[in-house]
Amino acid sequence: MEDERIIDLYWQRDERAITATKETYGRYCYAIAYRILASHEEAEECENDTYLDAWNSIPPARPQPLSAFLGMLSRRIALDRWRKGQAKKRGGDRVLLSLDELAECLPGEAAPDAGIEAKELAAHISAFLRSRPRAEGDIFLRRYWFLDSIKEIATRYNMGESRVKMLLKRTRERLMTYLTEREVTI
Amino acid sequence: MKADKLQDAIGMVDGDLIARADMPPDRRRLPRWWRSAVAAMLAVVLLLGSLWNIPPLQGSYAIAEASYPVMAPYPAKDSTHEEYDAWRSSIDERQQYAGAGKDLDSFFSATMSTFLADEEQENRVYSPLNVYMALAMLAEVTEGESRAEILALLGSESIEALRTQANAVWNANYRNDGAVTSLLGSSVWLNKDLVYEADTLNRLADTYYASSFQGEMGSAGYNKALSAWLNEQTGGLLAEHANSVELSQETVMALATTVYYRAKWTVGFQNTRTAKRTFYTPGGELLCDFMNQTLHDGDYYWGEHFTATRKRLADGGYQGYMYLILPDEGVDPAALLTDSEALRFMTASGEWENHSGGKLNLSLPKFDVAANTDLLAGLRSLGVEACLDPATSDFSPLLADDSMPVWLDKAEHAARVIIDEDGIEAAAYTVMHEAGGAPPTPGEEIDFILDRPFIFVITGPDGLPLFVGTVYTP
Repeated sequence: MEDERIIDLYWQRDERAITATKETYGRYCYAIAYRILASHEEAEECENDTYLDAWNSIPPARPQPLSAFLGMLSRRIALDRWRKGQAKKRGGDRVLLSLDELAECLPGEAAPDAGIEAKELAAHISAFLRSRPRAEGDIFLRRYWFLDSIKEIATRYNMGESRVKMLLKRTRERLMTYLTEREVTI
Repeated sequence: MKADKLQDAIGMVDGDLIARADMPPDRRRLPRWWRSAVAAMLAVVLLLGSLWNIPPLQGSYAIAEASYPVMAPYPAKDSTHEEYDAWRSSIDERQQYAGAGKDLDSFFSATMSTFLADEEQENRVYSPLNVYMALAMLAEVTEGESRAEILALLGSESIEALRTQANAVWNANYRNDGAVTSLLGSSVWLNKDLVYEADTLNRLADTYYASSFQGEMGSAGYNKALSAWLNEQTGGLLAEHANSVELSQETVMALATTVYYRAKWTVGFQNTRTAKRTFYTPGGELLCDFMNQTLHDGDYYWGEHFTATRKRLADGGYQGYMYLILPDEGVDPAALLTDSEALRFMTASGEWENHSGGKLNLSLPKFDVAANTDLLAGLRSLGVEACLDPATSDFSPLLADDSMPVWLDKAEHAARVIIDEDGIEAAAYTVMHEAGGAPPTPGEEIDFILDRPFIFVITGPDGLPLFVGTVYTP
């Protein structure tokens, strides 16, 4: 079903919206959650939680594209679950690796409970990614949004793993410089 | 932890950036990218014969060339936002036609059984969508019982309903953005000595995007022009067949339709994992190249007599897949093509009750299968008979002089499907024989080894079966 039609169903509070979302994007949401949690059961629960969150968010939201919105929900729900430690024993290496790498591009320290809001920080990151060549931005998101492994990225973009690592390192450094220049603290 | 906050913020970046990163990467600049691709093409040529003796004349051929919708090019790696948006818009524009062929399942199932299920145990390829378009055009040029039989086979209530559907099917399956080519080509080959109904020819051009040509039937030049058109539409990959197609002096009109489809896998096979492995053909063992890949979120389906998986194709939408259907041990693919459950699966676009997901090790032989098929006997068995017989055929919408006996004289089609990729390196997998009807244990890693005759289905941008085939010998 087309995105517009699915969103209309949400706005009409028609529960077929959930069915249609599952049919069209169920596997996508599941896959994002599974990468984080490495557990089929928990990924399925996250997928179901995603539908509930979507139901509670639309309306007022009218997301475009719907896939990215649902993916964002799945990712957030799965990360929350991972952080609560429910999955750490079984897997979640991708998240740990991602966190280790991201720690390299943290700008100045802010006082506890201070610093920029995540939403505002996201706007800066979006602007930064738009300022970079498309492939660079895409690869950054494959690594830190989709949590792809280096090997998966190398295969996807038909390049060597060392080149992917180098490219990501430079992007992280550029992001840190970008945020520092704008006096962003986290 | 500060990195958590950064991770959360990354999770909230603009949705269009996420969608863009989730698109298949552009590999156009990489050498030989298309070899890691699926290339398939098919041509159907319907020749209408006549008993009248028509004198040959000289002349040129092209009357009108079909004008296809223009799509924005697939964005390059360093493309701007505007370029990306333009491409996305042109893809979205196709979406208005989505679902146009949802009522065609019974036609697809019936014809797949008829044209593929034989006992020869040879590679076969058939394009349900292409034959649908050829028959729709045939319905346009017929009337009475001839048309009624075709409409019944296509499941259309009226010629008007068929026009609407066929036009939408054409558009829903059209892609031509530099990265994906999915094109249903049509053409009409007219006899220079006859006067045709202009309204009918205009309808063929407007509704079916059919180019029209007129020339001397049976002449070397006109045959060559038809061959050239077929080759052009199919990227030259059906040259052997296309170059042998001939129009006879008695041919009143030829309808030629083609499907040309080329797309990359969303995630290609790694060259280094390709390895030699034994394929068990009906005639014995054959050592061939198997491409290997681990699908971390692979789909696994099963039915009473088969198991299946699918691999996604980068078609700019969400429906392009190659489905790989492995009959249970001892079940012949041809037999499976007459099994109602298996046929239902082949037209289900992955919507299947017995479905599981998880880590799946796929081992797929490279193959290049081609087949020529005479459709006439099959059409007759499917109930399309009146237009085949000069005594009962009615082609009155075609010619200004409708007293002339015209009938469907030949219906030939040729198809070829190639899947390929580069490189060889040894890899080993365990062969696991899944029993039909049994789901995998949750969390179980599945080995899906296509080392005996199997069936494939390629679905196009709208999820309809563009190609179905059997591989007995890769």
